[in-house]
Amino acid sequence: MASSLKALLVEDIKVDSMVLSFMLRRFHCEVTLAKNGKEAVDMFLEGNKFDIVLCDKDMPIMTGPEAVIKIRAMGATDVKIVGVSADDNAMEAFMSAGADDFVPKPMRLEVLGPMIEEVINRKNN
Amino acid sequence: MDYSNLRRQAASLKKGLFDQGHLDEQFRQVEDLQDEASPNFVEEVVVVFFKDSGRLISNLEQALEKYPRDFNRWDAYMQQLKGSCSSIGASRMKNECMSFRDNCGQRSVEGCMGSLQKLKREHAILRQKLESYFQVTLEAPPCQSWCHDRWIISINLLTDVCMFTMQLLRQVGPAGAATRPAM
Repeated sequence: MASSLKALLVEDIKVDSMVLSFMLRRFHCEVTLAKNGKEAVDMFLEGNKFDIVLCDKDMPIMTGPEAVIKIRAMGATDVKIVGVSADDNAMEAFMSAGADDFVPKPMRLEVLGPMIEEVINRKNN
Repeated sequence: MDYSNLRRQAASLKKGLFDQGHLDEQFRQVEDLQDEASPNFVEEVVVVFFKDSGRLISNLEQALEKYPRDFNRWDAYMQQLKGSCSSIGASRMKNECMSFRDNCGQRSVEGCMGSLQKLKREHAILRQKLESYFQVTLEAPPCQSWCHDRWIISINLLTDVCMFTMQLLRQVGPAGAATRPAM
């Protein structure tokens, strides 16, 4: 599957970040890393555009749901935001913050693939 | 070097890790991400995992001492570790993380301490088994050994063909000349 999607990965744990970024690169995404919610928000404030955001929940300085609220408040309503967390209670926090989707950790290629495809189709249309 | 034996040993070690429940299907996902551009990805991830998990366990032990009965704090540390365990498929470690979190929910200090000890034991076992596995795979890297074997087979085959041809020519040469019809 060919893709030139710009992906923002918001994750503070290095192992999770390595695995998720490799998964995104498997689908030919251009991956930018942010170590916490504040870094992610700053990326948007600097004018960066992303097609998809994968975001962990509990991070230092600013959590995932907090970042999602701020990103949406900036008017970034087109970007697909997916919450990814091992916390069983994370789904509600992400969805009420404005995320499009939630995937419990661990992310799997067969789950990520259709999401990427959906974003590509939406972008092309 | 007998690469086939080493490869069998590596396969057996890996099978053991799965059969004994140390690893689950997520580890295969991580393996699937390894390719020619990143030939050591799995090992790199595992190294980072043990560095991260060692640090998280150490932080948690300090928190257990410094913040007695602060179950929310203890739970937060363990949640991070559970996430990492899930990401690489460290199944038995993940189960102990969940057990610890259950004990936090029940506000059982003794239960938490017990779970932590089991977690540390699983951490050490997994580390030792994966180190053994990677040591063997380093000695018999799959692609190189296959190429090496194929190269050796090709040389041997070529040598055999050459020798056979020479023997045939020695036998056929004089006899062939004797039976050749006169021009």
